[in-house]
Formats: sequence, structure tokens, C-alpha cells
Amino acid sequence: MSKGRGMGVYVAALFGFLYLPLGVMFVFSFNDARRNVVWRGFTLKWYKALFHDAELMSAMFTSLELALAAAAIAAVLGMLASYAMVKHKPFRGRGAYDALLNVPLMMPEVALGVGILTFLVRAGYELDFMALASSHALICLPYTVAAVRARLISLQESSLEDAAMDLGATEWQAFVKVTLPLAMPAIISGALLSFTVSFQDFVTSFFVAGIGIVTMPIKIYSMMKFGVTPEINALSVCLLLATFLLIGLNAAFAVRPDEASRH
Amino acid sequence: MAEPVSRRSFLKAAILAPLMPALLAACRRADDKKVVNFFNWSNYIGKDTLPEFTKRTGVAVRYDLFADEDEMFTKLRAGARGYDLIVVGDYLIPRFKSMNLIEPVPAGTLKNLGNLGPRFRRPVYDPDETTVPYLWGTTGIAYNKKKIKKAPTSWHDLWDPQYKDRVSMLDNVRDCISVAMQLLKIPQTTRDPEDFRKIRELLVKQKPLVKQYSSASYLNSLVAGEIDLAMTWSGDLFQTARENPDLDYVIPKEGTYMWVDCLAMMRGARHRADTLRLIDYLLEPSVAAGIANSVRYATPNLAAQKEVDKTLLKDPRVYPTPALMKQLQLHHVLDSEQSELWSQTWADVKVA
Amino acid sequence: MGRALSWLLGGRRPLASHLLLAPASLWLIFLLIIPAGGLILLSFAKNGAYGAIVWEFGLHNYARAFDPKYLPVIFRTLAFGAATTALCLILGYPLAYYLVFRAGRWRNALLIGLMVPFWSSCLVAYYSWMIVLGKEGLLNTAMIRFGFLSEPIGFLYTPFAILLGLVYFYLPFTVLPLYASLDKVPRSVIEAAYDLGAGRWTAFWKVTLPLSLPGVVAGCILTFIPCLGDFLTVEILGGPRYYLLGNLISNQFMMAQDWPFGSALTSLLLAGLVGGLWLYQRWEKA
Repeated sequence: MSKGRGMGVYVAALFGFLYLPLGVMFVFSFNDARRNVVWRGFTLKWYKALFHDAELMSAMFTSLELALAAAAIAAVLGMLASYAMVKHKPFRGRGAYDALLNVPLMMPEVALGVGILTFLVRAGYELDFMALASSHALICLPYTVAAVRARLISLQESSLEDAAMDLGATEWQAFVKVTLPLAMPAIISGALLSFTVSFQDFVTSFFVAGIGIVTMPIKIYSMMKFGVTPEINALSVCLLLATFLLIGLNAAFAVRPDEASRH
Repeated sequence: MAEPVSRRSFLKAAILAPLMPALLAACRRADDKKVVNFFNWSNYIGKDTLPEFTKRTGVAVRYDLFADEDEMFTKLRAGARGYDLIVVGDYLIPRFKSMNLIEPVPAGTLKNLGNLGPRFRRPVYDPDETTVPYLWGTTGIAYNKKKIKKAPTSWHDLWDPQYKDRVSMLDNVRDCISVAMQLLKIPQTTRDPEDFRKIRELLVKQKPLVKQYSSASYLNSLVAGEIDLAMTWSGDLFQTARENPDLDYVIPKEGTYMWVDCLAMMRGARHRADTLRLIDYLLEPSVAAGIANSVRYATPNLAAQKEVDKTLLKDPRVYPTPALMKQLQLHHVLDSEQSELWSQTWADVKVA
Repeated sequence: MGRALSWLLGGRRPLASHLLLAPASLWLIFLLIIPAGGLILLSFAKNGAYGAIVWEFGLHNYARAFDPKYLPVIFRTLAFGAATTALCLILGYPLAYYLVFRAGRWRNALLIGLMVPFWSSCLVAYYSWMIVLGKEGLLNTAMIRFGFLSEPIGFLYTPFAILLGLVYFYLPFTVLPLYASLDKVPRSVIEAAYDLGAGRWTAFWKVTLPLSLPGVVAGCILTFIPCLGDFLTVEILGGPRYYLLGNLISNQFMMAQDWPFGSALTSLLLAGLVGGLWLYQRWEKA
């Protein structure tokens, strides 16, 4: 059908637009020029330099730790919250919670960063790792809630927990032996999504990181100000590969709709 | 199908998950006994300067960079307890002192202090020598010789409409307001709001010509051909010119200001003794010369001058002739009211 | 112990629900509500020397926000926000439609493909755009080589570049709600329209589109509101002439050392957020 093909071409073009910078980034990571503006020649030296650049590696590990922490916190909080929202009978204030849980998603990050910065400074609290990890967890929370909630709702339809309880299990046993394992893929999926969001977060980190905490995006930002070398491109390519890896992991954990009904 | 999770292991995981980051944070704090946390401009130290220091004394140096003085000031204001040693511009020193952010270097602890040239001892911006001069330079005009045939000679050239969209200005209160004041022949001691209105108007008039306000990435733009004329700090331009000989530096005929960047110890520094050791090390003639040769700024260290690269010493753009030196002045030390007027005017210019 | 946990999970009492929601609520209270409240409080204070806060309350910061010299910034921000949202909608709707109705087994792969650029650091993406759009960049070089241009055009530091960057970043924000909403459109209804003799276009226009409206509204809100606070795009791709609200706010905190004024501006932004949120809730229920 001509309409279908026309659309396909359009989508391909759109994806071309989306991936053009990534492609450029990839190609220019092999550029043999210090200031990465014009192409001068092919080299692998930036990838080698990457692993010797202590500051960059340190920034990457900081970002990794932060993302792990944020994902863990957001996963636990999100799971508890969505359980209450989905499984419990409607209680007063549920709508308010619902709205509140969505706010970090819509909130302009500059407002969030500035608010947390002001609050912590006036409260005399030092801007340390925990502060930043918690801020990241806040931003990731809507993602974990959405992921788990969708799964819990679809599980609700199979009423497996009810079946377990009919057979004599308490709510706790039903939760641990039935709901939790079945929801685990969604929890992990939400956690992986949180991990990604936290890892590449710039704006909030920019304000809340304070001194001494240099995350990867912050390091890239300062490198951009000082004059970028293709090292950043090499780093981004590696990160992109890591992202693909995470997506692959996520897909491995993903439950296909037909599988759920089999249990 | 996934194996059922036992209650105990679930509870353990649920409790540990949020605690783990706290444990990680505690671990990283445990091991910073022999280290100095140094906060400095980018491209402002020799490649081997700090590794040599660590080799000699066994004290590690955690080196963080900033590209923007205002950003630096905000970070320090928001949580100053992270750094031991910072590099701060002369005009900021009174402000830092009044806000109690920096601590004086105890008299007599630095044996190399005498290496500094007499012009830099007890300067007007820091008479009690709370800080130690590190490098100094001038602000001038950078231009691309290939694109601009007639070399610029005056600050007015940055306002020339024929360079529309090819100009860049430093993203810095002190430099931009000073230039405007020089052009309008307004003294730096002024407090008159009418003067500041004229300054603001002059800078706003320039805005359509300015492609970007930047303190570091404009160097990229110069190389890329996005801009051809830029307000620049001397050494930054010379560092870039090493790989790009088309770029040149000019001190405008109206004259310009010299500025001095100084080492300052932060209040509440956790590694005081080692910080002092680092400052002393940076004052050594060969070390200072090494830094000056690398970053192409001028060193205030007189004893170091015999080891500075001869070509740099002879270059009047880096080490101005005595005649020019007489023309160069330091910025007037602003009090808080003037400081506020400067900041406010600059903020208004950026918004316009 | 098991009994207590069972009670918590059972949810027959509202208290159990509140307790389960407590950790998340605590997070939201301490990192969202209290900071926002603090900002609003600060917005009424005065700015002292070198940025010290003077606790004398008044509306002077808000009066300043509506000063004619700042109004261009606000209007510019609203204009860019609207343009970005409109462009994302126009570009994103066909994509969402394709994903739901035409993609078939490629659907998940394409969805993930959509998210990947979003997940890689936006800084590097913008920086790569600089390489593409620069005067000696790829676009100019290609256009000169093929004879479309004789001299390079300065694409960077123009509204075009800013819009490009904004659309690039916010497209997923629009497409995902659109996708979710289009997915919920029951095929049976569309089939019924065909059965009643409607052509493709009519069926789309009179059935699919109206039913996807909640997604459209959600997508617009989710794009417009965060876009209003954006400052990174302008900083990297734009120039000093296109100062947006996000830059203004960021500068109050980072440069001008005027936290009270910055708080006032942020409070205005938050007011916009609350309005958007209220709209979002209303459409969600519809």
C-alpha cells in the first residue's frame, strides 16, 4: 500500500535525523585532531587515551555508583508505592499521591536542581554523594512506579494472588511467592530505566553535585568548555555500547504477554 | 519461571539497597589522609607539575577544574568544605575575605615567598598577603590573521559592525565592564548609576555583533572559523596559537588591565600542612618557570625568570616592555556596593 | 511479623496504604515539596551584599520579574516552547501512528531505537550537532560540494539551531504518550468505521484522531513544561541573543548571586508546572 510505504520512508528519515549526531559522534571518535572540529585523519589513539585518563574514569565510576544507588532506591520506593496504588482498595488521597508521583517527570530540572541546592545549603547540609543519589532517585521514581504499576495491573487480571490466598496463603506469602517473582521483570526493567536516567542526568547534578562530585555528564560539560578532544566521542561510543547492552539485558528479562497468561 | 524469593533474602535486599550508597560514600571518605584538594582554572598548570610534587612528597593532589569564575564562586559559596587550595582572581579576593571563605597563609611558613617580584608583594588588593600570586596576564584581542587583514588596534574594533556575528566576548563581569569603562573613559571608582546605564547601553549595542559570550569554548570557535575576533586572556590565546599559528594577540592602544590570579587556602581546609607545602613548591623557581612555559602566562616569580623560555621572555605580548608595564594597572578594588552595581549591570546586559 | 506484613500488604485499612506509600512520600516531601516551598519562601526575601540573604519580605522580586526588560525573555521562552511542542507533535504523531498500526513485529525494536538517542548524554549529542552545523561542518561542506551554496551559512547560534536541539531532545516526550494513547484505541472501532464505508483518511480524522486526543494533550504538556526550563540547548547551540528563562534562572544562581530573584523566577515556572499538572490530571481522567 502506497500510504504504508510513504510512512515507512518518513519514519526512516526521522530515525536518520535522530541518529545523525550519534553517527557523527562515532565517526569523529577516530578523528586525528586535538580540537575536534574538522576531520583530519583516522586514529585509534583516543580510545587508548580514554583508559589512561584517570579523571574521566573516576567520573565514570562516580556516575556508575550514583546510578546504582538511585536505581536501587527508586526501585524499592516505586515498588512499595505502586503496590499500594494498584492492589489496595481505593483510599482517600490516592489521587493526590498519583499526581505527586508524576511531578518529578514534568518538573523542569532547573527548578528541581535549584530548589534542592537552596534547601540543602540553607539547612547547612553538605552537598555529598547521598544528596545527589537521593535527588537522582527522586527523578527516577516516576519511571519505576510506571513500570511496576503496569505489570501489577496486568497481573491483577490473572488474579493469581487471589488464587494463592484461596489456597490458604497469607497476603505476605502470596506477595513473596507469587507477586514478587512475577513482578520482578518489571522491577528490573524500571531499575534499568532509572539507571540510564540517572547516568546521563546533567541539569540536576549540575546544581546539586557541589564540590568534589564529578559525574560523567558534568565532566563532559566542563570538557566542552575547555576544548573537547575526540576522547569524549570515544567515551560516548563506549557508553552507547553499554546502553545497548543494558537494553539487551532488559529484553532478556522482559515478559512477553503470552508468557504471563501461561502461569 | 523465576525461583520464589525467600522472605529473609527479600528483606535483606530491601533494607540493604538504600543503605548501599551510604556505605559506598563512607568508603570513599575513609582514605584521604595525604591529599590536597586543588581547584583551578583549566589549562593553568604544567603537565608534570603535580605528579612531580606527589613524587617528591608522597602527597596526592586531587585536581579539579573550572572554566568560569562565577560558577566557581557559587560552588564555593554553596559548600566550601571540599577544597583546600583554590586559584582566585585578584578582584575577587576582597569579596572572598569579607565572606570569610579564605584563610591567610601564616606568616613565615613559606620559605619561597621571597621569590616573588617586588611588584607582587603586598599588593593593593591583598595588603596583608592572605594569598600568594600564581600567574598574571593581560586581557586583549585575539584575531584570525587569515580572515582579518588589518590587525585590530583598539577595543573599538570589537564594536565594528563589519564584524557582525564574528565576535566573541569573555563571559566575565570584570573584563567586559572594564572594557566598556575604558572606552567610555569612566573611572573604575565610580558609583554613579548614570555611568552604569551608559556602560550597559554600550555593551547592549554590541550584542548583535557578538556570536557568543564564552570564557573557554571561544577558542574552539576561533579555530573552527565560527568567530574571527575575540576578547581573550593572553595565555589562553598563546596556548591555542601553538597549534594554530593563524591566531594572533593584540593589546589595544587604549591600554588594558593586568590581572593576577592567586593561590588561596580555603577556610576549614582539612589538609593545611600539605597545602602549605604545595604552595611553597609552586613558588620554587624551576616549578614556576615550568608552569609559565607551559601555559604561556607571565609568572610573578622573579627568581623563576631565568628559567623561563627565552622566546617567551622576549615576547612583549607575554612579558610586556617596561614602558607598557607602566601603562598596565591592576583593577580597582571594589567594595560591595560597586561590586553589586557591576554584577547587576552585567546581568542586565546578558538579558537584553 | 508475617501477620504485620500481611496487614500492610492487605490494604484493607487506609493506614496500610499510607504506610506503604510512606517511603516514597518521604522522598517527595524532602526533595520536592520542601525545596519548592523553600524557593517560594526565598522568593520574597531580599538579596544582600555578595549574595547574602536578607530576610525582609516583599514582592520586589516578582515586580522585577515583570519588568519590561525581562518580558522579552519570558515571551521568547514561551514562543520556543510552543514551537518545539508544535514541531514535536507534527513530527511525532506520524511516528507514533506508524509504531502502533504499521510497525508490526518491529514495534518494540523501533521504540527502543527511539529511546537510545535520548539515553546517550544529550551534551554529546548537541556537541555532535555542532560538528554537523558548524561553518566548516558537515552540512555546510556537503551543501557547498553539491553546489547548493557558495558560502557557508552560520547555522549555529541561531533560532534554527536551538529549535533543532530542542526538538531533538524532547521528541520522545511527545511520542511516548501519543503511542500509549493510540495503542489504546480499540481496533474494532476503526474497523467499524471502515465497515460503514469510511475511507482511510476519514476514518483517521473522525475516529482515530479524536480518540487519541488525551495522548496529544499529555504529550504536549509533557513537552511544553520541561521545555520552558531548558537552558542547556541555548547555552550550547544558541547564543547570547536567545536567552531563555532557564538561562536566566540558572544565571541568578550561578553568576549573578541573586538567589531571591532566581527563586521568584523559578516560582513562576513552578506555577506554570502546577497549571500543567492540573490540566494533565483532568485529561488523564477523561
